[in-house]
Amino acid sequence: MPASAATGDAVVRIEGLSKTYGTTPALHAVNLTVRRGEAVAIIGPSGSGKSTLLRCINRLEEPTEGRVFVDGVDLTSRSVDINKARREIGFVFQSFNLYPHLTAQGNVRLALRLVLRLGRAEATARARAALDSVGLSDKYASYPSQLSGGQQQRVGIARALALDPKIMLFDEPTSALDPELVGEVLAVIATMRARGMTMVIVSHEMQFAREVADRVVFMNEGVIVEENTPDELFNRPVRQRTRDFLARVVRH
Amino acid sequence: MGFDEFARAFLNYDSLVAAAPLLMQGALVSLLLIVSIVPAALALGILVAVAYDLGGPLRRRAIIVYIDFLRAFPPLVLLILIYSCLPFLGVRLSEFATVVVALVANGSAFFGEIVRAGIESVGRGQREAARSTGIGQVGTMVFVVLPQALRNVVPPLASNMVELAKATSFAAVVAMPDLLRNARTAQDIVYNPTPLMAAAVIYLAVFWPAVRLLSRLEQRMVLARR
Repeated sequence: MPASAATGDAVVRIEGLSKTYGTTPALHAVNLTVRRGEAVAIIGPSGSGKSTLLRCINRLEEPTEGRVFVDGVDLTSRSVDINKARREIGFVFQSFNLYPHLTAQGNVRLALRLVLRLGRAEATARARAALDSVGLSDKYASYPSQLSGGQQQRVGIARALALDPKIMLFDEPTSALDPELVGEVLAVIATMRARGMTMVIVSHEMQFAREVADRVVFMNEGVIVEENTPDELFNRPVRQRTRDFLARVVRH
Repeated sequence: MGFDEFARAFLNYDSLVAAAPLLMQGALVSLLLIVSIVPAALALGILVAVAYDLGGPLRRRAIIVYIDFLRAFPPLVLLILIYSCLPFLGVRLSEFATVVVALVANGSAFFGEIVRAGIESVGRGQREAARSTGIGQVGTMVFVVLPQALRNVVPPLASNMVELAKATSFAAVVAMPDLLRNARTAQDIVYNPTPLMAAAVIYLAVFWPAVRLLSRLEQRMVLARR
């Protein structure tokens, strides 16, 4: 069962968010709030805009219209210090995007040195603690090419986690993994969830979304079609679109 | 013409001994030119490539013009042009400085273009990863993109370094007492081409191993990519 839905303040507040690529609409007037301590899963067919929505939350994508607040800071404001804001927003990529020329420890340490300006020893200690927390105590000195996909993704999580973010964003964190490696990554995310980390997960793992999320958001063609508790959304979907999608992806 | 005659002219021991001090001085000047020009051109090339990458459309167009112009312009012509034009513009540069300016400009264009391609070969995800942790544009470039970009273009960079080092022999035309020029001077003194032969051997002795090393490097890069 998921931890009880948090009733805290909003960590993420998205208002009227639209994004168009040229003339192709990717998101249309999306509103979404994520409260402190809450885990929200975003599901939907590919091309439905779920990754674009996630990437707007740390402005890897520039919204065309609308506003995005993270921990009270308006990311869409012209005067925002985006680098400062991003410290508080951990992002985990589908394809890991580890730095191939740095060790696992070096990957985690870089932002600690450059962004938090920690000394070398302190940054190393903190990087190792982050790697410990994802079960990679024996891989400090390994290069990404020497690690399995699951291990690489856990380094990716540690890299984001080491900055002690207010929220973690996961963009299909297990889609690039061999099936037998999915479990170890989901276990790490579940542990973070149990420790009360606020998170938004774009995922194809319906079972995981059901287990870990407080709320599930179903997107289609750039709009949020339906959002509800996992139990309601998976068992009693209201909209026809949602039912069609679930019928296709959930194996009974 | 028999071998004896050839040897007397091109492999004359007495001439070699007589020319040795001049050749040594010349080799030293050539070496000095190489260590002044090659690192500076590489550094400027990297700077040009980074400035292009981080720049807006206007700056990018200006850099393209810089790179294209200097790559198209024959370095020897550039050198002579700078050498003969600057005095008229009231700029007085030593021969050494003239050669350095001309060849650093030429080299930086080639290095700039190579590094630019290297930067473009680094996936977008690398920058996104760095930026998502709050690292700024410059930090991302220096610590994430450039190390990978340079690694990807080591063979063409090294090959152009050798090219540029060889181009320092152009210095002879503006009266720099480098290895080539001093060999010609010695030739006039001893009345035979042995000093020139010796200079050729010295050039070969330096650049042949360099070229061999380059081939090895290229092979290793190809293997590493498999």
